[in-house]
Amino acid sequence: MFEISELNKTNMRVERLYRTLFFMMVLLLVLPVLIILGTLIYKGGSVISLEFLFTSPTDGMTAGGILPALIGTVWLVSVALLVSVPLGVAAAIYLNEYAGNNWFTRIINLAIINLAGVPSIVHALFGVGAFVIFFGFGTSILAASLTLAIMTLPVVIVATRESLAAVPMAFREAMWNMGATRWQTIRRVVLPNAISGILTGVILEVSRTTGETAPIMFTGAAFFLPFLPESVFDQTMALSLHLFVVSTQVPGVPEALPYGVALVLVALVLIMNSLSIAFRVYLRGKKKW
Amino acid sequence: MYLHKPMSLLAVLLATLVGSVDARTVIQNKGSDTLVNVAQAWAEAYQTVDSDVAVAVSGGGSGTGIAAMINGTVDIANASRKMKDKEKKMAKDRGQDPVEHIVGYDALAVFLHKDNPSGTMTIEQLADIYGRKGKARKWSDLGITVPGCKDKIVVVSRQNNSGTYAYFKKAVLGKDKFKNGTLDMHGSKDVVDLVEKTPCAIGYSGLAYATDHLQMVCISKDGKPCVSPSVQTAGDGSYPIARPLMMYTNGQPEGAIKAYMDWIMSDEGQCIISKKGYAPVRPVQCN
Repeated sequence: MFEISELNKTNMRVERLYRTLFFMMVLLLVLPVLIILGTLIYKGGSVISLEFLFTSPTDGMTAGGILPALIGTVWLVSVALLVSVPLGVAAAIYLNEYAGNNWFTRIINLAIINLAGVPSIVHALFGVGAFVIFFGFGTSILAASLTLAIMTLPVVIVATRESLAAVPMAFREAMWNMGATRWQTIRRVVLPNAISGILTGVILEVSRTTGETAPIMFTGAAFFLPFLPESVFDQTMALSLHLFVVSTQVPGVPEALPYGVALVLVALVLIMNSLSIAFRVYLRGKKKW
Repeated sequence: MYLHKPMSLLAVLLATLVGSVDARTVIQNKGSDTLVNVAQAWAEAYQTVDSDVAVAVSGGGSGTGIAAMINGTVDIANASRKMKDKEKKMAKDRGQDPVEHIVGYDALAVFLHKDNPSGTMTIEQLADIYGRKGKARKWSDLGITVPGCKDKIVVVSRQNNSGTYAYFKKAVLGKDKFKNGTLDMHGSKDVVDLVEKTPCAIGYSGLAYATDHLQMVCISKDGKPCVSPSVQTAGDGSYPIARPLMMYTNGQPEGAIKAYMDWIMSDEGQCIISKKGYAPVRPVQCN
């Protein structure tokens, strides 16, 4: 007959203890997110309306909407993606599919890891020196987006590399045995199978780019612009900087306004993330392994 | 799955982005956080004056604006302090020729918490609180008891690239430096917010940032009767810590920049700066 010994009981208690402990940690992680979202909706929800989203600020930015900032953020993020995604994916393909495991590859890897660790304000100053002054783009969407692109490049490269590496080697070998070239293999088999992982990298980049303030502050974002940007050589307003401005720089802003701007910023990131995640799930459904 | 489609889509997008050229003139205007809200109001109002000219306004501090002028990346730099000779020389060396325009005056108001009973102070007392050589660390050192405060003075100042910081230092401290341990805020509004909530605090910023929730100190200099900060006392020079607000252009302004500067100096432009709580350069009738 099996009996529960004292030792079994102790083990079970310890087991329960750790399980509860770890569960509490998870709750602790989720809690700040809920509190932040809750506060933003509670304090800023009242200012959100179609008019808020689709009109320009008025009365010294204490009233009106956020249209120029919203459009500006979309410009900055899109142009940054246009630069960093092709560049990052191409670099990752080379590193994973072509490069041998030698000192050169290792140095490149080290450089990418270090690039990811550079603080955003340093990227900002680099952007001013390189794009604004040296290349002569001036303070513009182009200069700001290039700065953002360089900053987020490591994210794209690392995510793409990992998803390329996850495609089973047998897939490639099968292609090669059929006489396919490396590029044919990459285009027809490796990339289609890795696309959901690549999208994860892009999602991360979008989230980070949307919220960044320092890199765009000196390179392309303006305190106030009386027009919507029309080309990449225009300056632009941006949501993140607008949030900083209305919460610290402008006197007489109604209390709900900064919360409203923050809510839109967070919602924008959440919506873009959800769309990409939905797309990823759809693609994963088509995966054959 | 082929990747041709997304690639060509990217190319088309890129072409549209780069391709659209517009006829609009953009004036780049950057600098002083003190002037930034006036600059914004000017830019906002100028849309109705000339819709073909757009003024892009950025803040960052007088130092930021002056550095951009030196680098030649702005058309108009806003500053709440004069350019130093060293900065003028740097600009000249890089082929810029900064020309100064005084566009208004600002009274630097000294703020106290509502509950602080001392409504009047001398420049010497301020130097005693803010200066490194000053001895006042507690309100009782000045013979003041502040309700709700444990006596230690919370000294609120600004970050060191601010023109407000530089002017206050010159006007109040003279050759002395700021005390160690001041709270250096990154904006006038932050100073105001902090002093409103802190009974022990003293802070300073442009008059335009004053709210009804704090009190402004009446300041006396050289034994004269004290003067309260206001648009009027800043303009007529009777308030002891008032400063000119400057805009720098590269060379004498021409074309759209000249038109904009002229408009700023016109009655309409000067009424806007006056409405924002600063003193106009000359008396104007506003409605």
